[in-house]
Amino acid sequence: MSTDQDYILSVSGLTKTFSGVKALDNVRLNLRKGEVHALMGENGAGKSTFMKVLIGLLTPDSGEIIFKGEDLKTGNVNDILKKGISMIHQEILAVPELTVAQNIFLGRETSSRLFGWLNDRQQIKQAGDLLEQMGLTIQPTTPMKYLSVAEMQMVEIAKAISNEASVIIMDEPTSALSDKEVATLFRIIGDLTQKGVAIIYISHKMDEIFTIADTITVLRDGKYIVTKPASELDTTQLIALMVGREINTLFPENTSPKGDEVLSVKNFSQSGKFTNINFAVHAGEVLGLAGLMGAGRTEIARAIFGLDGFNDGAIYVRGEKVRIQSPADAIRQGIGYVSEDRKALGFIPRLSVKDNITLSSLRGFFTQPKQETETALSLMADLRIKANGPDQAVTYLSGGNQQKVVIGKVLLAKPAVVILDEPTRGIDIGAKAEIYKLINQLTADGIAVILISSELPEILGLSDRILVLSQGRQTAMLSRSDATQETIMRYAMPAN
Amino acid sequence: MYQTASSCLYSLHVKQPEAVWYNLKTNMRRLSLTSITATLSVFLLLSGCSQSGTNETGQEGEGKKLVVGATMLSMQNEFIVNVHDEMDKEAQKAGIELITVDAERSALKQVEQVESFIAQKVDAIIMNPCEVEASSPAVAKALAAKIPIINVNSETSSKPSAFVGSDDIESARIAMKFIADKLGGKGNVVMMHGYMGQAAQIKREQGAREILKQYPNLKLIAHQTGEWDRAKAMSLMENWIQSYGSQINAVFAHNDEMGLGAVKALTDAGLKDKVIVVSIDAIPDALQAVKKGSLDATVFQNAEQQGSKAIETAIKAAKRQPFDKETLVPFQLVTKDNLSKFLK
Amino acid sequence: MKNGFITTFSQTGQSYKTHIRGIGKYGLLLAFFVICLALSLITPKFLTVQNLMIIVTQVSINALLAFGVTFVIIAGGIDLSIGSMVAVTGVVAASFAHPDTYPVAVPIGMGLLAGLLFGAFNGFVVTRSKVPPFIVTLGTMTIGRGLALIISKGRPVSNLSDSFNFLGGGKILGIPTLIIILIVLFIGCSILLKRTVLGRYIYAVGGNEQAAKASGIQLNKVKMVVYTLCGGLAALAGILLTSRITTGQPNAGTGFELDAIAAAIIGGTSTSGGTGTMTGTLIGALLIGVISNGLDLLNVTSYYQQVVMGVIIIGAVVLDSMNQTNKG
Repeated sequence: MSTDQDYILSVSGLTKTFSGVKALDNVRLNLRKGEVHALMGENGAGKSTFMKVLIGLLTPDSGEIIFKGEDLKTGNVNDILKKGISMIHQEILAVPELTVAQNIFLGRETSSRLFGWLNDRQQIKQAGDLLEQMGLTIQPTTPMKYLSVAEMQMVEIAKAISNEASVIIMDEPTSALSDKEVATLFRIIGDLTQKGVAIIYISHKMDEIFTIADTITVLRDGKYIVTKPASELDTTQLIALMVGREINTLFPENTSPKGDEVLSVKNFSQSGKFTNINFAVHAGEVLGLAGLMGAGRTEIARAIFGLDGFNDGAIYVRGEKVRIQSPADAIRQGIGYVSEDRKALGFIPRLSVKDNITLSSLRGFFTQPKQETETALSLMADLRIKANGPDQAVTYLSGGNQQKVVIGKVLLAKPAVVILDEPTRGIDIGAKAEIYKLINQLTADGIAVILISSELPEILGLSDRILVLSQGRQTAMLSRSDATQETIMRYAMPAN
Repeated sequence: MYQTASSCLYSLHVKQPEAVWYNLKTNMRRLSLTSITATLSVFLLLSGCSQSGTNETGQEGEGKKLVVGATMLSMQNEFIVNVHDEMDKEAQKAGIELITVDAERSALKQVEQVESFIAQKVDAIIMNPCEVEASSPAVAKALAAKIPIINVNSETSSKPSAFVGSDDIESARIAMKFIADKLGGKGNVVMMHGYMGQAAQIKREQGAREILKQYPNLKLIAHQTGEWDRAKAMSLMENWIQSYGSQINAVFAHNDEMGLGAVKALTDAGLKDKVIVVSIDAIPDALQAVKKGSLDATVFQNAEQQGSKAIETAIKAAKRQPFDKETLVPFQLVTKDNLSKFLK
Repeated sequence: MKNGFITTFSQTGQSYKTHIRGIGKYGLLLAFFVICLALSLITPKFLTVQNLMIIVTQVSINALLAFGVTFVIIAGGIDLSIGSMVAVTGVVAASFAHPDTYPVAVPIGMGLLAGLLFGAFNGFVVTRSKVPPFIVTLGTMTIGRGLALIISKGRPVSNLSDSFNFLGGGKILGIPTLIIILIVLFIGCSILLKRTVLGRYIYAVGGNEQAAKASGIQLNKVKMVVYTLCGGLAALAGILLTSRITTGQPNAGTGFELDAIAAAIIGGTSTSGGTGTMTGTLIGALLIGVISNGLDLLNVTSYYQQVVMGVIIIGAVVLDSMNQTNKG
């Protein structure tokens, strides 16, 4: 047992079992005041379970958590929140209809003493001050739903600060942020640690970890592996610790022969979102769509897939103009779409892996349970989907495995072209590598791929050609040899 | 790699023809919004028409035609519909205008309806009260506006200008007396209530219990609500048959619908010959059942007389002529012997 | 790749079946048997073949309605108009069922047609307007009640043919027809929900409408089919009720929608859509039937009956939601 005075939070011997499977096995963690402590591990390593125990969502089977020298009574979310442990969730849990100020003070509304009426004006002032201190320009009276993902995240952090949290857990805080926004986040983290707040930082982005983390703890398969100062590790070593093996080449070379044009759009426009987009993608080719947030990449993908309408222009499949009014039409035309928002558009949480995978490919009147199971099993093997079996509900899988289920569903419908929208968002490095390999495999099978990603190394490493968008307009079409991070950024930045 | 999966899926693809339901042609799409609105408005018109019981072809009276407003408990109740039909007929004959509204069992609505009659300055109001207490304010308001108000069929706690109806307690007395006579004052009886707490249910229970008290050997072994409903009463009777079997000698149901439900259950169980069933209202179905001998007796509440007396009283009151403050239309027991009088 | 898969899968493969199948269903079954056991200990009249047959007969009409509404609720909707549909289809069928007029197929066909049209109308308005199904079917509930009164002119439609009355009141080989129809429809609905593509789509649409759409499922088609199906089942319930009580009543089925929805929810169908089974709904309906039969057998006053029924409905749902959270 550690009684080191420096440690604000000290966890030892933490074990949690789900129906016989050990999700956490004797895990420990020692957190110092004012440090950024990265918690690393592949999906399913137990990071989420660990954090859920810390904030009181789960009660551990055994183990000890000492917080500020006291035994932390586990299992009571509100109590733990009051004591000063806050979490910024990966999926943001704000109430969209309420204002920024209301969200910040949600559950702790300041009320006037006499009647218990909500004291809105005071809340707005406090929230405004707080946001200003953080160097943000968000208005406290704006309804949450009008904020960008990045702004919402900042509000969540403001909420934690206003809560006087001494430990803030950040789960993939940058997954939806642009580089500029990441810089703001890091500045705020710096301010917080200066004041003695400890940060538990979970991310799959290696460069971030080495930029910001002081200490790194690695978990693998629910077990504690090692804790080391960040300065003593490099990317390769860290990946090796996480995966338990070394991953050499992240981006496999795409040597697939390029075939005929599969999909093209001409003069493609949607009012307010994108204008006059023209491109074609060929069999076996990866076309990258690069751009900042709000450049219109996802909007184009949604319009091609029939999720949204468009005002002008046309979609051509193998040179023929097609009418796409719904995803059903798009799928029939051989277009597949893996959404950036897999929770909302990707899968049916309570349906099984098998039912989700086959959902776009069912034909006939009766289902074919045996065939479907075989199909699901073989796809699960190919995509290395980790689940208890084809009948497990997708909601119980980790983010990376959920993503693979969605990809499996899209592939099973035998698409000629696949649009992958942020396919590696929020998933770990091992799963990322698998998805990169898969993209390669797709092109080898003669499928055209449109790749949307905010991670430039990903775009650069995988694409044959890169279409750069800025504010809904297409600004450049770069070949792989011409493209560098700098050129892409130059074209992606808004023109004054 | 994922090749295996696709080939496997391919067989899934071609095995079945296009889904049957999937082929539902897009006919529905052609139905436009206008056609819906059209259909809806037809419905509305229809429902509007069938309830306006006004008379437009009355002969000229002495100058202005008398107007009588009537608010009825519920136009979904057959007995009330019968009362109203007679009122309508009578009004037509007398050449007055009758405005009828349906209170849909809501006393609040009824009070509002009477208020609107007062505003329209009708010459008299006929109210078929929803509730004893809650409909009373309507009476007070009409009297305050100096418009005569006549309660028909049931009472309110405030005293109206006149009451036309029958005494519900009496109907239950008649029914239970019949059972007592048939059983020789000795046996087991079950009773089916209407909606608990409604005036008719309370009075019919009261009447039945008065008679039971007079016959100590007549035992009420079970009583339960059948909610005035035939299907519910049938289920209730089935359960009682399971519980008491051949111990039951007679059934008293607060209305004919429930009585007929009991008859159905008893017939299905082969027990009808051994059990007497009596109910109240003498609706056509019940009269048919009495004719067949499956229902032993029903109690006739004279809807026609209630309706015609109500209009008669209303006209007299409107013309400031003397009228009876209370007109009690007597109940009559209907059995096979006197059935022909009631069958039309 | 294959190798990696086999190791990861086989380690956990054996436990997945026991892990996934809901404890909720067994919890409900347990509650059902406990109540049955208690009743048969309290009164010897409960556990007789005849009484059990009577319970199933009484339950069957509610069960048919509950099957229909289960489809709708799983698909993320709700149908409050089923009670009114019982009345409409009942009086329509009765109008064609007088002796020596039409063969018995005609009232059945006309009743069914009325129900299917009514259900399709619900589906049409729900899919073509942005109005929530709760409001749409609240409206059609009133419309239906009005239609039933218009068709019947406010009076029961009586004097029905023997062949029509046989449908809901007869027996085949000593078994009431209602029980036979219930079993057939239970099997049919279960197969439709669990073994057909349509069934899978119903779960998908209710589980995550947008993801279902993005998977190429045509939401409007699925919803149309579901509401029409619900109308069809309500029509069957209406026809059978009319036959059982040998009269078409314009005010029949009042409040039936609540019993049917209660049966579905007690049976584990989530009001937020995406989950539920026909077996659960059947058990839910049986539970309601057993309780009401048992309370009658015990001669419990009607005031207390309502209280007991309410407590049991809430209890069953609480039990179920507790199991739901345990699973997660």
